[in-house]
Amino acid sequence: MEEMIIAILRSATPLIYVTLAGVIAQRAGIWHLGLEGLMIVGACSTILGIVLTGSVFYALLLACLFCILGSIIFWFVVEKLKANQIIAGLGLTGLGLGGTTLAVEAIFGTPAAVNAKFGLPKIGYVFGDIFGAFNGLSILVLLMPFVVFGMWLLICRTRLGLQITASGEHPFAARSVGVNPSRMRFIALMIGGVLCALGGAELAAGSLQIFAQNMTAGRGFMSFAAVIFGASHPIGAMLAASFFAIVGALGIRAQLVFGDDVPHDLLLGLPYIATIFGIWLSAKLRGGAKAVSGFDELRD
Amino acid sequence: MVKSDNNIFECNNITVSFGSVHALQNVSVAFERGKIHAVVGQNGAGKTTFARVVAGLIQPSTGKILVNNKQMLGGDVKQARAAGVELVHQSFALPPSFTVAEAMQFGASNGKIYSRRGLEKFWQKHLDNLGVNVKSKQKIKDLPVETLQAVEIARALISDAKFLILDEPTAVLSPETTDKLFERVRQLKQSGVTIILVLHKLKEVLKIADTVTVLRGGKLVQSPISCENIDVKKLSAMIIGENASQNLANSNRAAPSVAIKPDTALDIKQLSTIKDVEGAALTDVNLTIAAGEIVGVAGIEGNGQRTLVRAIADMVGIKSGEIYLNDQNMTQMSHLERRSNGLRIIPFERNVEGLSLSSPLWENWSIRNYLQRPIFSLIKPKEDRKACNTNLKKWNVHYSNVDQLAGSLSGGNAQKVILSREMDDEAKLIIAAQPTRGLDIGATDFVWKSLRKARDNGCGILFISSDLDELFDISDRVIVFLSGQLVGEFMPPFDIKKIGAAMIEADL
Repeated sequence: MEEMIIAILRSATPLIYVTLAGVIAQRAGIWHLGLEGLMIVGACSTILGIVLTGSVFYALLLACLFCILGSIIFWFVVEKLKANQIIAGLGLTGLGLGGTTLAVEAIFGTPAAVNAKFGLPKIGYVFGDIFGAFNGLSILVLLMPFVVFGMWLLICRTRLGLQITASGEHPFAARSVGVNPSRMRFIALMIGGVLCALGGAELAAGSLQIFAQNMTAGRGFMSFAAVIFGASHPIGAMLAASFFAIVGALGIRAQLVFGDDVPHDLLLGLPYIATIFGIWLSAKLRGGAKAVSGFDELRD
Repeated sequence: MVKSDNNIFECNNITVSFGSVHALQNVSVAFERGKIHAVVGQNGAGKTTFARVVAGLIQPSTGKILVNNKQMLGGDVKQARAAGVELVHQSFALPPSFTVAEAMQFGASNGKIYSRRGLEKFWQKHLDNLGVNVKSKQKIKDLPVETLQAVEIARALISDAKFLILDEPTAVLSPETTDKLFERVRQLKQSGVTIILVLHKLKEVLKIADTVTVLRGGKLVQSPISCENIDVKKLSAMIIGENASQNLANSNRAAPSVAIKPDTALDIKQLSTIKDVEGAALTDVNLTIAAGEIVGVAGIEGNGQRTLVRAIADMVGIKSGEIYLNDQNMTQMSHLERRSNGLRIIPFERNVEGLSLSSPLWENWSIRNYLQRPIFSLIKPKEDRKACNTNLKKWNVHYSNVDQLAGSLSGGNAQKVILSREMDDEAKLIIAAQPTRGLDIGATDFVWKSLRKARDNGCGILFISSDLDELFDISDRVIVFLSGQLVGEFMPPFDIKKIGAAMIEADL
């Protein structure tokens, strides 16, 4: 059972970080389909940072930097150039997937996986032997519940959160009390950038110490699904992301139990099937996901 | 313009242009402290634009704004609010998923992290003080319009507002709630708030305002006029312009009902529906509308008027009973089949049900034709644009081209687009649900004329309105709904007392 929980925490943590990034963007009125791209940028720059600087701190800083840079581009394209969010988001994802491969090839001369000598510090290393079997998890796993709580406070219990939510739901209402929706979206995307960096870092350097092409394998999109499934509420989205992670862990367990009786690919696909099911369920419960009500009326 | 320290607000030569259209042109106004000022004009006269310029939502292209003798930047809501200027919007600017407490909080300036209960308690106190009957934990989307408005006003008052602008506050209210609003406005005046009311019902203006400012076509006609020295007739002449008002007066008297043809347009037999989302379920409703007859529906909102419309439109489940359109049983017909048989609807919410605001005019206009055709029939944009153009011209819609978005039209013009779409030659039964809500006198008169014309052409018309004067004016017969039942039927001359009594029993 302990092993199972550890496995779930490992796979859920990166998802949850990225999901929170999607939640705050969604609240601000942006369908953030660039999550996948930002996540892999975070993963890649963490590993490259460790390899090149030898410091986890600088590596994380580098990851945050690049993810914020990506978010600024995204914000500029969507808000200033008025591009379609979905297309721009997918573009950001493409940029992330291609850009990381290019970076690896440019630096090492080969697109092969990059190994780092060490990863993120483990809980046991930082706090001593107090968490028993969980000592082997990275500190970002330990940090995760606090970040979720912090995001909940920010979004659901502060005026900034209300202003961000209003900017997404009713931009005109926001404008009429003197809030600039575009600025709120900027803030939301920057916070999201940092969260994506952490998610990517945990994925690549949490339990592994490796970056490989395409290693996010759709986790960014799964996070986006968790945003919708979780009703863009930080807690709900965390639960949704955990649910996907649990299904994934069960899939791996089932492979061990059933062996060749059940097709291997089907079990690997379980999280994705769960995603579809989750979206269907949330639509059933709450009605379909709402689009941004960006129609600013300015008329008599 | 009067220069005086007693003016809380002054603006000099304000011009606002959207593209090549001047929404406001060289408007200079001054408002005196502590009074109720009305701003009137037709739809498209620039009233809302004016209100938004004052509130800092729109940056004027030229001109100067002074609040309390302090010059404003223009286009800066924060600065305007800091100076005590608050705007209550016509279509309320409150995010629907918020609770009342959250909606109050997000525009306020106090507090860092709050607890839900603390927040609700805090704002509940504020709401109670203002006498707003609402629980602060209720969601915005669950509130009726009059409460929404009260909440917006309450929110405008949180930050010590000195200058409150209400943009067409009565457009969404029933007569009873309008009186309550006016009571509240008078109280605010007592407590020293200066109020601007953007209005278009002149009776209301004279009832409440101290001064009135008239705009026409984005230009100032006259301001401020003391309300003691003016009557409805003079005022409407100013609003419409001298010549036009002559025509209006004549047309109001024209065309009494012409000989009624014996055919029935609509025959509803023993109709009962299941409970509807938009009001009471219907029970045992019997209603006949002859061709060439206007039947007015009276009743306090939520007593089944909407359900009746939705039942006729096949949008609510029918438990028992039958609906005949032109002697044809359409109980089992789909909405589209009913439309093919001559049913036309001018819906309650013109911006939600009536038009797709983000689509161009020609699409909005030609959609009805396509709905009645086979599903694979080709769309012919060129022909539709042309047909739309000729028709909208015929209906006197003011627009620049058929590709402009429906959302860019003013209320009256938007309604005319719906009229021109729904009142074609093949219409047999027209349901006109609150067709004049939010329209000015000119546009209202136009709607009335159109309905009368359709009636004279042999259409049956079901006319729903919460304005009894209007109802009595144009109906050949008035029926009253109460809790989903038809409780009264009245012939002219209409007795307001009897009809009122039939409506009010709802509260007993």
